[in-house]
Amino acid sequence: MYRYDEFDAAFVSERVQQFSDQVRRRIAGELTEDQFRPLRLMNGLYLQLHAYMLRIAIPYGTLAARQLRMLAHVARTYDRGYGHFTTRQNMQFHWPKLRDVPAILADLASVEMHSIQTSGNCVRNVTVDQFAGAAADEIIDPRPVAEIIRQWSSLHPEFIYLPRKFKIAMTGAPNDRAAVKFHDIGLMAQTNGSGEVGWAVYVGGGLGRTPMVAKLINGFVPHEHLLAYLEAILRVYNRYGRRDNKFKARIKILVHEEGLENIKGQVEEEFAQMRGGILTLPEEELERINAYFALPAYEDHGVVNIDIGREKILDPAYGRFLENNTFPHARQGYTSITVSLKPIGGVPGDITADQMDAVAELAEAYSFSEIRVTHEQNVVLPHVALTDLRAVYDGLVEAGLADGNVGEITDMITCPGLDYCALANARSIPIAQDIAHRFAAPERSREIGKLKIKISGCINACGHHHVGHIGILGVEKKGTELYQITVGGDGTEDAAVGRILGPGFVAADVPDAIEKLVDAYIEKRESPDETFIAAYRRLGDAPFKEALYGNG
Amino acid sequence: MSKILTGNELLSGAAVYLDGHGRWIEELQSARVFGADEGGALEAAVGASKATGRIVSVETEDVEMRGGAIYPLRVRERIRAEGPSAPRVGRQHLAEDEHVSI
Repeated sequence: MYRYDEFDAAFVSERVQQFSDQVRRRIAGELTEDQFRPLRLMNGLYLQLHAYMLRIAIPYGTLAARQLRMLAHVARTYDRGYGHFTTRQNMQFHWPKLRDVPAILADLASVEMHSIQTSGNCVRNVTVDQFAGAAADEIIDPRPVAEIIRQWSSLHPEFIYLPRKFKIAMTGAPNDRAAVKFHDIGLMAQTNGSGEVGWAVYVGGGLGRTPMVAKLINGFVPHEHLLAYLEAILRVYNRYGRRDNKFKARIKILVHEEGLENIKGQVEEEFAQMRGGILTLPEEELERINAYFALPAYEDHGVVNIDIGREKILDPAYGRFLENNTFPHARQGYTSITVSLKPIGGVPGDITADQMDAVAELAEAYSFSEIRVTHEQNVVLPHVALTDLRAVYDGLVEAGLADGNVGEITDMITCPGLDYCALANARSIPIAQDIAHRFAAPERSREIGKLKIKISGCINACGHHHVGHIGILGVEKKGTELYQITVGGDGTEDAAVGRILGPGFVAADVPDAIEKLVDAYIEKRESPDETFIAAYRRLGDAPFKEALYGNG
Repeated sequence: MSKILTGNELLSGAAVYLDGHGRWIEELQSARVFGADEGGALEAAVGASKATGRIVSVETEDVEMRGGAIYPLRVRERIRAEGPSAPRVGRQHLAEDEHVSI
């Protein structure tokens, strides 16, 4: 894993000192709220409905065990004993008091973490595939480049006041698990004709009020020119992005209004001027960063056979866990384990301090002290030897983290919604809980198969509802919460935005509505192997619309 | 339309309401309800509250009296008064030095 050098450490520690003094001055009345607000937001400190919320970046979703232990310490010491993982691979604490925030940031700095650029109109935390550096289908580990982007974009003087926030996602694999086509810039590793690895660059994707699938602006940018290319895009966006209207200020609107070809022409022009200049990545620097992400010291365990069918008979819960929560690893004899943070009836993405410590301990014992955070609000032990699987599972059972529902209908993305968020119009968490209870039976979940439900409590779409196979959007109408249901969204390489089929439902009717969609799918699917999204693509809206609203 | 005055206390971030004694308190049901004809008093209270520098996001909210209780018309305000609903984890509370008066 990457370790701070003296520049990183000095930069973060200086920021902690600055913010400590700003908090002191605010409390002493030397700064007004209007003066203080932008300063606290630059350090990830929001004010929500009930309290402050501190958002902490987890760069490219990679955590060391010692960092997760520190998050547990923060949860326990300064908050209410739990934290919440978000769709941006961040962690949020929902109850810090203002006086404690400088101490929290100092504690985080001691393990090379911070909250810088987790708010504001700047380049936010770069997110990547949670299986980066481990996945069997990977072309290249995207994290060294993500780290370089982090360094380039941290306090980049030209890009601190962009027209609007800017999100970059990357995947080193052709199977996109990072929703890169729904980011301002999405990067997918590519191999060119000469066998060199570079990046396909997508631009102008996003969710929110105006969901858009990103467009391919360049099919292959070599490593050494990537920063120059990104800077060219940011520069064009910074110059022409719609600062006059917050709702039209994201790059997706610029690309849509001006047209890809126009934007591409300008980006290429900027790129031509910068290419080969100061932003060219020196080979030795790339090597230096790469070294931090060297493969762990895998051991040769020989051929390990795990008979899932047999385990399912002997211990159904373990069998289900093996079937759903493991992911093919690049190294023979190893697997990546997804730890579900979606217990039936729980709060999706929440994890207690004790559970954080338990995961850290398992990572130290069985996954080279490494943990990953997924944009689907789960965590991952990326490098687990197959011979250790049972021990890890038993440890997760003990921590209350062994739900084997990854990828199933109860593994929902859910934003905090109106239970916490000042921007929300409706609650999300209770909707997820009701749906989870409805589909709690493992046999029922297995019958349904892979199905992604995503829930947002407002149009800003932090819960990614547009790309849920079934999406749920909460709105407020005449003092009550109402839920619009979309079908057919997809956040992967087959990116698609879900479609609204008809009027919304009150909260109490949402589980029934989901069940009707699920039943329609099961009835119409060609075989149990045809997933919900595949069946939707074949059948279109009609049968699902009929299931929800009848024949009228 | 009747209104209440609400905001968040600076140090704790807690949701608070202005009561009839000029104190910012945690309990919605003890909030001062400003009648439609008390626009002047409401405006003065907003000004005085902002002047403390200790109440952030000062806002007026529309309410009705239902069964003798204050009922905010927006779902948001009802949840704000109760704390997160699922599970009920309770609201943020004011510590001793976090009480503010105008």
